[in-house]
Formats: sequence, structure tokens, C-alpha cells
Amino acid sequence: MLPLSYSLRNVQARPGRTLMTASVIALVVVASSLFLGLISSLKRTLVTSGNPRNLVVMRKGSDNDGSSQLTIEAYQAIRYFDGIARDAQDQPLASPELVVQPFFHTRDGGRENVLVRGVEPVALAVHDSVHIVEGRMFLPSQGEAVVGRSVLGRYAGAELGNVLEFGRGKWKVVGIFDADGSSFESEVWVDVRELANDAKRPFPYSGIRLRAATPSDIEPLQRRINDDPRFAIEAQRETDYYAKQSESANSLYVLVIGIAVLAGIGAGFGAANTMYAAVQARTAEIGTLRALGFSRRAILLAFQVEAVALAGVGFVIGAACALGLAALLRVMLGGVAFGAATFTTNVVTLRVRSGDLLGALGLAVVIGLFGGFGPAWRAARMRPIDALRKA
Amino acid sequence: MKYLGLVLANLGRNKLRSALTGAAIMLAVLLVCLLLTMPAGLDLFLNNIANNTRISVHNKAGIVYAMPSSFTRKVRQVDGVAAAVAMTWFGGAFEEAGRVTFPNFAVEGEHIGAVYPDYNIPPEQLADFRRYRDGAIVGRQTMKKYGWKIGDRVTLRSAVWPVALDFRIVGEIPSDRAPLFWMNREYLDEALKAQGRPGLTIAGIIWVRAADPTRVNAIMRQIDEMSRNSEAETACETEKSFFANFFGSLQGFVTIILVVTALVALCIVFIAANTASMGVRERAAEIAILKAIGFGRRVIFGTLLAEAVTLSTVAGLAGVLLSKVLTDALRAFAGWSPSLGPLSSFIVTSAVIVQGIFLSLFVGMLAGIVPSYGAARKPVVATLHEVF
Repeated sequence: MLPLSYSLRNVQARPGRTLMTASVIALVVVASSLFLGLISSLKRTLVTSGNPRNLVVMRKGSDNDGSSQLTIEAYQAIRYFDGIARDAQDQPLASPELVVQPFFHTRDGGRENVLVRGVEPVALAVHDSVHIVEGRMFLPSQGEAVVGRSVLGRYAGAELGNVLEFGRGKWKVVGIFDADGSSFESEVWVDVRELANDAKRPFPYSGIRLRAATPSDIEPLQRRINDDPRFAIEAQRETDYYAKQSESANSLYVLVIGIAVLAGIGAGFGAANTMYAAVQARTAEIGTLRALGFSRRAILLAFQVEAVALAGVGFVIGAACALGLAALLRVMLGGVAFGAATFTTNVVTLRVRSGDLLGALGLAVVIGLFGGFGPAWRAARMRPIDALRKA
Repeated sequence: MKYLGLVLANLGRNKLRSALTGAAIMLAVLLVCLLLTMPAGLDLFLNNIANNTRISVHNKAGIVYAMPSSFTRKVRQVDGVAAAVAMTWFGGAFEEAGRVTFPNFAVEGEHIGAVYPDYNIPPEQLADFRRYRDGAIVGRQTMKKYGWKIGDRVTLRSAVWPVALDFRIVGEIPSDRAPLFWMNREYLDEALKAQGRPGLTIAGIIWVRAADPTRVNAIMRQIDEMSRNSEAETACETEKSFFANFFGSLQGFVTIILVVTALVALCIVFIAANTASMGVRERAAEIAILKAIGFGRRVIFGTLLAEAVTLSTVAGLAGVLLSKVLTDALRAFAGWSPSLGPLSSFIVTSAVIVQGIFLSLFVGMLAGIVPSYGAARKPVVATLHEVF
């Protein structure tokens, strides 16, 4: 076995060339970790919105509450089903909600669809991750609104005490809420009746969010709603609902992983070139090592380790750049707006987490292995006599 | 040209390295082309509708805010309006898919053809659409996806309206990129009334075709003026601006994609520059001898640069070609994606091809220029000294 330091010192031996190859790998690491970070941030935002104790009730066949409509009869029937949690006043924790996506005007003159959720006061009990952090909850029928943290400052008038214009009316912003970084933070909440009037919806609600009394009540409750022949409605766990929403990001995954793999193969060719050159330059050295009695396997391993170490250097540089770039993008763009999923804007804070870096590290190591194998194989197959003669 | 042999021979002396470099450049160009197809697809989509005369009339408050469908009649009376059709989102899910997998709208059969003459729907199919209340006209992309034929019957369950309706497909929008599904308004209206409900009295969007492109702005002003102070004030937009806004919310994502494209392009230059400098360094002695026997700097510089450019151009062309093949394959598999819209159509436009070729030329130049210049400049004596 050749000592590890042999491989590592060789990485340092030609700093210029090492840096050149490493920076190619670094770029691939930057690209892939940023992409993965973007998608996982989007998914995290969506997935954390679900509460395992909650059910989403919508019309059958609709995949988001923006495209579902529910009759008032359906709400009144479901509200008193068994298994729904009750509050201190013995009122069921069933939150009828209307989702509308009006235009909001961004401060730079653009236009985005923002999810406006019409709710009743019970909504805060059902969505217990949502907390008013500044100001207060809106009062019904007063033309008041509370806005999520990501909405704040993004649109004209989206500030505490200011007037927000959307739909047919004007809404006074009386409170700001946060929701543990979930997608609720990209929403605006107003009184459900006022919103239905404003939007002139033929049906008053989009769906209902229910809190089950105990975890074991979830399934029977779900079955009872799904089997109800009167209304073609469907209940699903809120976690499943948001997991499904985040699946729309999966088509992005395919794209991104495709890009990362292609770029990775390209970088692998670059690494192979560098390593072939290294093998060629050290022909005499390899011959000597073989003559000294080091086995083929030892030499193969030494060069393979060198290639992986080279990729490691690339990864370290790339990871540092990716974190820096992500921070820069956060400052410059604020959140990244995704119009995906329901045609409403989800403001996502881009964070490159360890999981994303791990993905990039995996790619870098594979690049090292794949790029280094050919040259290492060639080095190991060299006949000592030929190699020494060349010298 | 007489040095072509030398250039090719030099490329062939280390075949493995040339192949590896070429492959790296090819992959990178392929990647850049694939990424460019996303904004290019959107651009193409928008430019195709740029110079037509269609106008969207929708509620000022948002697309989900409806207008009374009776407003369509008023719009038709506006001077210069050739045709107008009220469209309402049906939100129907095909049973097998279980969710909305293509956009479907209730439209007015007697007006739809006049608003969309550019869709080239055969007149007899439009006549059938008017004749059969349960008729439907479907885009070829969706027809292909589900293997439907004209004459087939399909059921869509609406998530928006409390109905599930059976349709007979009577016509096809003959474009591979049309996912649309149109049904008759009266059919939905009757189904709602049969349940004792008020029927279909709203329209989501009214699409208007102006008779004369120069009148478009005047028509838009007049329609907006007409709705002023009504229950539903409208905001007119050209079709291009409508779709540009519709997909504008993806801008952040597209920006990031483009930033990364630039990074990847940078990556190619690195790889190619690295290789070129390796090649030149190895050939130091040979270059010195060439110079010693009288070849000028310009020739040395030219042949070395030509070597880099030849390699990158050949590789780049292969990359562009591969991207064309790949996107054709991708299109066959992936259909309309509701979250990406026209961004999901990966189309290699001629602009992308030209950009790809220029990119590879540029990479070759940039990668070749520094080492070639260095080699050409280096004094003969110094080089020969180093070698011998």
C-alpha cells in the first residue's frame, strides 16, 4: 500500500492544474447544490404547511383548494360529524375556507396571483402553526386583512396599517402572521364572507379544514366523508395534501438532476484529462514504484485516491461558493417566487442545507471516481520496464 | 488551409485527450442548449401570439374574479370587434387521471371558431361542435396522450362545479402542442339548472378578436371604459401580455436557471483552456523547432488556435444535434405540465441552435487564445533551453 500522503501531496504538487480541475468540479457543485437547495426549500415550505391531525375536505378531483368549490349544505353536514375536535365552547374545529387568487401588484410594477384565504376566527385554532406576531387578527366585516410574513413589503400596501388593494375592495392590514416558514406565510387572510362577496363566488367555500379529536379519529372521519353519497367530496390528511402539492416540484427534480448529471459527466471528462496528464508526467515514478515492489492494486488505489482528493478540493471550494451565492441571492432577490403548483405565488427563502450539499458531495466523489479510474487503470497496467525505459 | 493537415494531426496525436475534451464541450453545449430551450420555448410561445389580434378581457381584480357572461354581448357590439367568446374554467378531471391534467373550458360553440381562426379547426368539426350539445373539441396533444379519437366519449368530473359530464369528441385542434379541451357552455348551463341551481351566468375570460390590428388599443380602451363603475370592471390585455403575465411568476426560477447556465458555460471554458494549455506545454520543443526552422509567430498562433476552435466547433455541433434529439424525445414523453405551462415545452428553436454554435466557437477561441499566444511569443532559445 502506498501511504495516503503520497496521493495527497501529489494533489498539491501542481497547484495551478489542481486548481483548474478543482474549479470545474466546484462549478458543478455550485450548480447542483443551488438547484437542490432551491427545490428542497420549495418542498420544505409546502410540506411543513401540513398538520398531521388535520384533514382537508375538497370536491372530488380537485388537487388544490384554489380549484375546488363546496356548497354550504356540504359544510353544514360535515361540521357536526363525529370525531372532529371541539374547542372550549364546544364548537367543532372545522374551518370553512374560501381560496381566491386575485392579482397583487408588486412594488416593481409586476403582477402576481396571491393566495387570499377567507377564514373564520376558528381558522387560527385549526391551523395552530399560524400566529399573529404583530398587530391583531382581523375583525369580521370591517374590510380588514392579516398578511403572512413573506407577503409583507413584497406588494404595494402590504404593510401594517396600510391599505392593500385587491379584488374589488380595499383592505386595511391590521396584523402580520408567521407560520414556521410554511406556505401560509405567502398568504393573505380575510373574513370568509367578505371575500365571497368580493369575489362573487357562486359557492361560498372552497373547502373545509378539520381538526380530528384524536389521531385515531382521522381514518373513520375520512372514510365517512369520502363515502357520503350526497356530495362528491373527498377528505385527505393535510400532510398528504401538501405532500402532493410539493410533488409538483418533482418534475423540477428530474430537470435539475438531469442537468447536474450532465454537467457532472462533463466535469468528469475534465478530471480524467488532468489525471491522464498526471499519470503521463509521472511515468518514471510509477515505473520506479513498481520496481520497488508496490503492487498494481496499490498504484491503482493511489491514483484513484488522488482523483477523489482532487474532487474533494473542488467540493470544498464549490460548497463555500454555493453557500455564499445562496446568501447573496437571498439578499438580492429576497425570496424566490414560485408560481408553480396552484398558480399562486409561493415565496420561498432559498437555503442550501446539509442535505443539498450531501447530494453535491456525492456527485463530486462520483466525478472523482469516474474521472480517475481510467488514468489510474492505465498507471496500474504500466509495465515497469517500459516505464523505466521511457525515463 | 495548407496547415489544415498539421492542425488535424495535432488533434490526433493524443486521441484520448481530444476525445475527452470534445466530449466535455459537447456535454456542456448540450446542457446550455437544453436550458436555453426553456426561456426560448416561452419566447416562441409568446412571439407566436404576438402579432395576432386577440384580446383578453378579464376582471381587473384577477382571472379568478368572474364577469357576468352577458357582458360578452356588449363586447361584440364594440366597433372593430370581429368576434368574442366567453370562456369559463371547468376544472374537469379525466376519470383515469383523477386530477386536472389538461386545461378545459366551457365556451360558446357558435363563436369559438371565429375567435380562433388561426387554430385551423376544420369547419365541419366546428359545425358538429355547434350541433351536439355534448360535443367537445380537444387539442391533439391531449388526444394523443390518452389515445382518444374523434367520436370517442369521455367523462370529466369538475372540481369547480358540482357536476360530472359526458362528452363526445367531435373535433381536434390540429397542433401537437395544444392541450386544450373545449366544451359547450349550454351543456354545463343545463346540467347546473337540472340541479336547481342558477345556471352558468359568469365568464372567466372573454376572448376578443379585433378585425384590424391597428384598432386593438382603441378596442381595449373602449371595453374597459364600458365596464367602468360596474360590478365587474375589466382589464383588457393583448394575448401576448396576458400570457407573459400569467407565466411572469416563474421569473425568479428562470433567472436562477439562466445564472446556472452562465456558470456551466464558464465551466466549459475552464475545461477547454486546461486541455489546450496541457497540449501546448507538451509540445514546447516541437513549437520551438518549428520556429527555429523559420515558421512565423502568426502561423504558430494560428494553427494552435485553429486546433482549439476546430475541436470545440465539432464538439459543439454534436452537442446542438444531441440537444435536438433529446428534446424531441422529451416532448414525446412529457406533456403539458400545469405548473410549468409553456416552459414545459422544450423546443430547440433556430435561435438556440445559433447560440449553441456561437458558444462553442467562443469557447474554442477563449480556450485557445492564451496558451497559443504564449507559445507563439516565447523566444525560441528559451524554449529550446528548457527542453534540451
